[in-house]
Amino acid sequence: MQQNILEIKNLSKSYGETIALANFSLDLGKGEVLGLLGPNGAGKTTLISILSGTLRGFTGSVAFKGQDLFADRNLKSLIGIVPQEMAFYEDLSAMENLMFWGGLYSIPEKELKKRARELLAVVELGGRAREPIKKFSGGMKRRLNIAIGLIHRPELLLLDEPTVGIDVQAKVNILDIIRNVGRGGTSVIFTTHQLSEVEQTCTRIAIMDQGAILAAGTLAELVRIVGEKEIVEVSGEFSAGAFSAIIQQSDGNGMEILSVADNQAHLAFADSERIPAMMQHLFQHHLPIADLKIKSPNLEAVFLKMTGRSLRD
Amino acid sequence: MRRTILIIRNDIKRRLQAPMATILFLVIPLAMTALIGAIFDPGAGGETKLPPIKLLLVDQDKGLASKFLIGAFDQKEVKDMFQVTLVDETAGEKLMKKGKASAMLVIPEHFSDDLADQKPTALEVVKNPSEEFLPGVAEEFAATMAVGLSAVSQVFADELKVIKSASKLELKDISIAQMTPFLEMARVKIIALQSYLSPLLLQLKTSTLAKPGETAKPQGFNIFSYIMPGMLIMFLLFIVEAFMREIQNERADGKIRRMMFSPLSTRELITARLFSGWLMGVLVCSLAMGVGALLFRIDWGNIPLMFVLVVVSCFWCAAFFGMLNAFFKNKNQAGAFASPIILVFAAFGGSMLPLEQIPQGMRWLAQFTVNNWFIMGCREIVEGGVPYLSFIVLSVSGLVFAGVAMVALQRRLSA
Repeated sequence: MQQNILEIKNLSKSYGETIALANFSLDLGKGEVLGLLGPNGAGKTTLISILSGTLRGFTGSVAFKGQDLFADRNLKSLIGIVPQEMAFYEDLSAMENLMFWGGLYSIPEKELKKRARELLAVVELGGRAREPIKKFSGGMKRRLNIAIGLIHRPELLLLDEPTVGIDVQAKVNILDIIRNVGRGGTSVIFTTHQLSEVEQTCTRIAIMDQGAILAAGTLAELVRIVGEKEIVEVSGEFSAGAFSAIIQQSDGNGMEILSVADNQAHLAFADSERIPAMMQHLFQHHLPIADLKIKSPNLEAVFLKMTGRSLRD
Repeated sequence: MRRTILIIRNDIKRRLQAPMATILFLVIPLAMTALIGAIFDPGAGGETKLPPIKLLLVDQDKGLASKFLIGAFDQKEVKDMFQVTLVDETAGEKLMKKGKASAMLVIPEHFSDDLADQKPTALEVVKNPSEEFLPGVAEEFAATMAVGLSAVSQVFADELKVIKSASKLELKDISIAQMTPFLEMARVKIIALQSYLSPLLLQLKTSTLAKPGETAKPQGFNIFSYIMPGMLIMFLLFIVEAFMREIQNERADGKIRRMMFSPLSTRELITARLFSGWLMGVLVCSLAMGVGALLFRIDWGNIPLMFVLVVVSCFWCAAFFGMLNAFFKNKNQAGAFASPIILVFAAFGGSMLPLEQIPQGMRWLAQFTVNNWFIMGCREIVEGGVPYLSFIVLSVSGLVFAGVAMVALQRRLSA
């Protein structure tokens, strides 16, 4: 059996009345790329802060390679972090930044230079290594942020929303880098609230909300939670209350309500032949429907089922 | 240790690569020193004379001694120093109340008679409370005159009595035969004194030794050496504060979180930050003092001592702002509080106003500011002394602040 590189057990953390993590447990295998999917405020950044040791006052345990992560300082240096913020010095060049951050790990200078050049090539910044970072685009800065997290060849890389605020092309580029890091044997935890990113990149996905893991598994395993159902997204100018009232009057056999909000609702049908009858029922009650989409079971449907709301909410 | 040095090197490198802010903080105190110096002495070229002291003279005696005293103010050197106006007491008091003069010297009634009769008498000096130095000079001058007149009245006691009685007679009633023995006695005393006074057996010559290869420096009161320390310490506080605020920025943009994943400890990080702030302050302050010496011909006195003062003052600044940043929640709070704190220090510590001009009731506040100890220390070194008290106060309080900063920042960074 493959040994887990990271084992988080019953981690809890509160800020006053607000619960950020509630008995959070998670395992991660070697070389696994885990997408931690959750809306804003789900507790993703709190988790990263606890792992870095910059947040105290929590309960539970974190074992890294079988040892208590907080008992041995040296263990933490086997972890790389890519914070959501651009955590580097913008008045220095990419090369100078890599040399500084690598220097904190006491890597010999010659080896460090070699590693920095190698990483700059990986993140496609080799030609701009000596330029001040303030001249870089958002995507270039994000790539450098990842390169710094990898400078000391970590066994685990934590990425906190690494694609925030960049264009589609830059996003594709970064997701490629993350996939390649995983293929190289480094385990990755990658937090995001973009469903498509985890679908494309991760070998395993954990859905997180209100400080706890709601479901975890491969994409196929998660989709099975919804089952072989058709997902119908109904949009229009209606209130959540009105929609719920009308839908309850119908014959709901074989239909599951995934989410209902003002102007949008998601329904799952085990039998697709029941969809026209339901639509007719809605029209008969003069529900102002503007759009109707039928989707195959996907991660969004799983998320809706698990949390009762869309990631955009 | 290696990681601490790496952070310090990185900090200094970053400042040197983007030196504009540091250059500004270096230029502004120099420019302000030049500006204030020019306002107080438009002709200042490094060596400055005191402005003429406006002195009101009230002669209630109108006797021989008072005439002698008034005449003394007519001597060339004294005339350059004092701008004397003869007034009666009422007019003098009015002018003093309006602050139109630095001091008023009152020669009391019967001053000459009392001197001749060897009776105790007193010259009265009324000083302008809004000025510090110029009335002091007038007071010293009057005291010197009083000592001189007192000595003269004792040596020539008999002659003064004769002169006094003669002054009450008509000229026709004065017989040369009666006066001759006293004039002869006075002549003998003057000749006897002359052997002591002219030439003086003991003369005092003062000069400043020049270092080999240097020309002698001009002596005199340099207004810039008086202004610059205050300006310098105020801007030093701004420089070091900006440097120490880096901790807040690094917390906000995730750098500290990233650092905490490396083998770097919070203790190493805080030590590096305190050291960087201190080092940057020492560099900028030393450079500014060097430029000040060249531009304004300021003689900073004993250079190694002055360097020690800069070192302890910068240490104080770094430790103090390190401690404050441990209590500020974020960079906005740090930014909002730091400037008022620096300005209060500057106002009460002597950077904006000379310490002597601060109202007596508020002057005690100065001892809680680095500005006061730095300015006093500078003055003492320039005057040839050793500012032991400044060294002790700044070092001890700096160490206390550094200790608090270390403990509180460690808590803050791992909150």
